[in-house]
Amino acid sequence: MELISLKKVSKESKINLLKELGYSSDGEFVLDLEGKKVYDKYLEEIPIRINNMVILPGSTIILDDNELSLSKYLEEFGDVL
Amino acid sequence: MSFDDAISNATKGATEGFLNWSSNVIKDFVSKLRDKKLAFIQDEKTIKLVKEQYNSGELAIYKAYIEDKEMLFLIKMGLTLRRLEKDKEEERKRNLRTKIFNKYEVRGLHIAQFIENGILNRYVGILIDNLTSIEKFKKDILEILNNIEKHVLFVKTEDDNRNIIKQILAVISSHQPMIFIVSGISSAAQTIKNCEKRLKELLTDYELEKMSDGQKENLFFKRVIKP
Repeated sequence: MELISLKKVSKESKINLLKELGYSSDGEFVLDLEGKKVYDKYLEEIPIRINNMVILPGSTIILDDNELSLSKYLEEFGDVL
Repeated sequence: MSFDDAISNATKGATEGFLNWSSNVIKDFVSKLRDKKLAFIQDEKTIKLVKEQYNSGELAIYKAYIEDKEMLFLIKMGLTLRRLEKDKEEERKRNLRTKIFNKYEVRGLHIAQFIENGILNRYVGILIDNLTSIEKFKKDILEILNNIEKHVLFVKTEDDNRNIIKQILAVISSHQPMIFIVSGISSAAQTIKNCEKRLKELLTDYELEKMSDGQKENLFFKRVIKP
């Protein structure tokens, strides 16, 4: 699995990447096509910020970058990363 | 296209110093993501740490005796907290503790702390000393994790000696656990040390075993089985 860090990627490129995946952004948060904030599927209270998002395979999962969410992802999808 | 190729093909934002990806690069990346050949991350250190706990030997041992998936996940979170502590990643540790608390409330955080502080390992050691059957062993581990507040007092910084002793006596009087643990770090560890002598005098049915490690203090009170 190739891992690409988004840390040094411009905001514009990250927004274009989200658009290519069927999402959008207001410049701060990840939004769905209806313009609603996208929440971390494992930590429902956390709206995902583009400066802290990870995008993982498995029907395109966008999560907040934190140990709890990533551990949950590995539990659901196995050690795929 | 590799990440290095992407970097060489990309133009650096003149003012921001960040990478700009062309639409072709983005399309290529998305295609690889959909083929499960690529993932976008922030910090590789986070992935590495999470994978280490996912594959940890300590977790594998607990998997042999605990089937409850949520409990195993909290054990994993405890191992992660321990690793962050070891790496002196204070802010990340604080953030993870908050997330565990928000998702699993105080009980979940206490279970994770129980693992983080190495208390479960010692508790298992005490159980093995008195092992009668594997089934009883499994039941006893789950009993303490499911009812952690009846077996462990996590001392907080703001607790005073009198309050701690009062709480411990109340829990022991209500539940009469075989093992009762008093645990604390930093200034709470000192408070526990201050209470130790008085607790030994009061808990005459229990013998004391200490587990001190730098800024941590854990007192194990083990009930004495009288003949």
